[in-house]
Amino acid sequence: MLLRTIDGAFRVALADMYYLKRNLLTVMITVMILPLLYFVSFAYGLGSTVDNTEGVTYIAFVIPGIVSLSTLSSCFSTTANKIMLQRRFYSSFDEVILCPVSSDSVVLGKAMLGIVRGLMCAAILIILGLLMTDDFAITPMLLFTVFVSCLTYSLLGVVAGFMVKGPPTFNLFNSLVILPMTFLCGTVFSVSAMPQSLQALIQVLPLTHTTECIRSAALGWEFPWVSLIVVLAYGTAFFLISRYLLEKGRV
Amino acid sequence: MSIFNTKINLIEDMVDGEDVKGRIEIDDLVVKYGDFTAVDGISLSIPCRGIYGFLGPNGAGKTTTIRTLTTLLKPSSGSITIDGLDVIKDTNEIRKRIGIVQQYISLDKEISVRENIVCHAILHKVPRKEIDIRMRELSSILGLDRYLDKLILDLSGGWRRRAAIACALMHRPSILFLDEPTAGLDTQSRHILWDIVRDLKRSGTMVFLTTHYMDEAEALCDRIAIIDSGRVIAEGSPTELNNLVGKVAVDYECDGKMMTQTFASRDMAHSFIESNLTNESSYSVRRTTLEDVFLELTGGSIGGDDVVKND
Repeated sequence: MLLRTIDGAFRVALADMYYLKRNLLTVMITVMILPLLYFVSFAYGLGSTVDNTEGVTYIAFVIPGIVSLSTLSSCFSTTANKIMLQRRFYSSFDEVILCPVSSDSVVLGKAMLGIVRGLMCAAILIILGLLMTDDFAITPMLLFTVFVSCLTYSLLGVVAGFMVKGPPTFNLFNSLVILPMTFLCGTVFSVSAMPQSLQALIQVLPLTHTTECIRSAALGWEFPWVSLIVVLAYGTAFFLISRYLLEKGRV
Repeated sequence: MSIFNTKINLIEDMVDGEDVKGRIEIDDLVVKYGDFTAVDGISLSIPCRGIYGFLGPNGAGKTTTIRTLTTLLKPSSGSITIDGLDVIKDTNEIRKRIGIVQQYISLDKEISVRENIVCHAILHKVPRKEIDIRMRELSSILGLDRYLDKLILDLSGGWRRRAAIACALMHRPSILFLDEPTAGLDTQSRHILWDIVRDLKRSGTMVFLTTHYMDEAEALCDRIAIIDSGRVIAEGSPTELNNLVGKVAVDYECDGKMMTQTFASRDMAHSFIESNLTNESSYSVRRTTLEDVFLELTGGSIGGDDVVKND
């Protein structure tokens, strides 16, 4: 059953992979600009003026945060944009609906482009991190949490792609959900620096937990298992919502 | 032959209790978008062979019906079975047996024709060693060889349509649905597509097409259902439908308007001309067409022409 679902997902993802192969350079440039700007401005710019943060250099602290927010921005925008285009402008999403594969495969398959793009982006940032600081290390847990993060935010992209009616609603979703998370969830500064009242809200957001997981795994801190469970719960919820929308014909 | 939304059986020799296998059975199909009823109680029993046409004006419910038949839309009420399979319960089984070319070409525009064909084949689990063979075969039939490596975005409407047909046929469906296959195409492309549709029929594929072109329906279809405002208002072969209103039509000018009168025979038409039209009157005599049938049954023109029915 699981193997059949994964097989179906790869079949669904094939067209997107052809697209990626054809547009690899453009895709990489667009996906890397924002994280590299963060990298330069925070790691180099701000990093040179800030002392240690939570026991490590600011550069070591901020790089996992940038990896985390990059997985969110690249996975979400790639998946949501592509599905929105296929649904609303090219009508090519019907080709996927019309194929004899399960809804689970369609949801996972449509998330794959985002996952691949997010992993490529994270890989480049992790290599830069290794070059810039000795505190940063590649561990199996880091790779796992980066993958879970890419999967979760690609699934969020699938939900958005299924729900948005066009660019205005996509931009609204971006402004109300993605942008606040980018800045609030402890990616470039410690959450403890935020007002107490805001911290409760921040703890609800998934990016706070993916950042915690990626940072702990990269810097060798005690791993926040509760945060991993929260991220997995978000991922499961996004998957179930996408499947519900697809099966109810609300796509 | 029945009209006004009654259950219509298309095979004259059909016997009661015949197996629903090999047929498309539509029973009291209703599809609503909110308060708007797009399809209003269509019932049809269609054999899965030959070319079947849905003819009607824009907004009549043709595309909604075809989207429901192809599992893209769920009916609000009523039932559809294709070859004995229920469109809601046996969705995947039905998808294996049908192909669809939509009015708005639903291929991935940012990849090539070849890549679209491969993707479609892999989605439909065509064995990998078969993909190249079938692609070569279809490209040759559809004249796509030179265009295989072009992006869909770079093709004209006619070539996009051919690419879509190639994709839709890769998994060798027994029924091919074509939604307005020649809408927006030039005359030459239309005739090439007509030939392709006729070839498909000869190869044993049933073609179910929608169109608002009467000449297309008459030229291609073995049976036609005329649909208006979500209801089937007449059904039969082109000849049977034309005979509903007579065999001969006279178009004439009266008070600056073009009027049409239909007659059972040429003699009756000439009697009408002799007794009602003066020598100076402008008129023409012709065979009845599906336009006349549509005018007779609805009082409106299918294509928005200025022909007015003479009561």
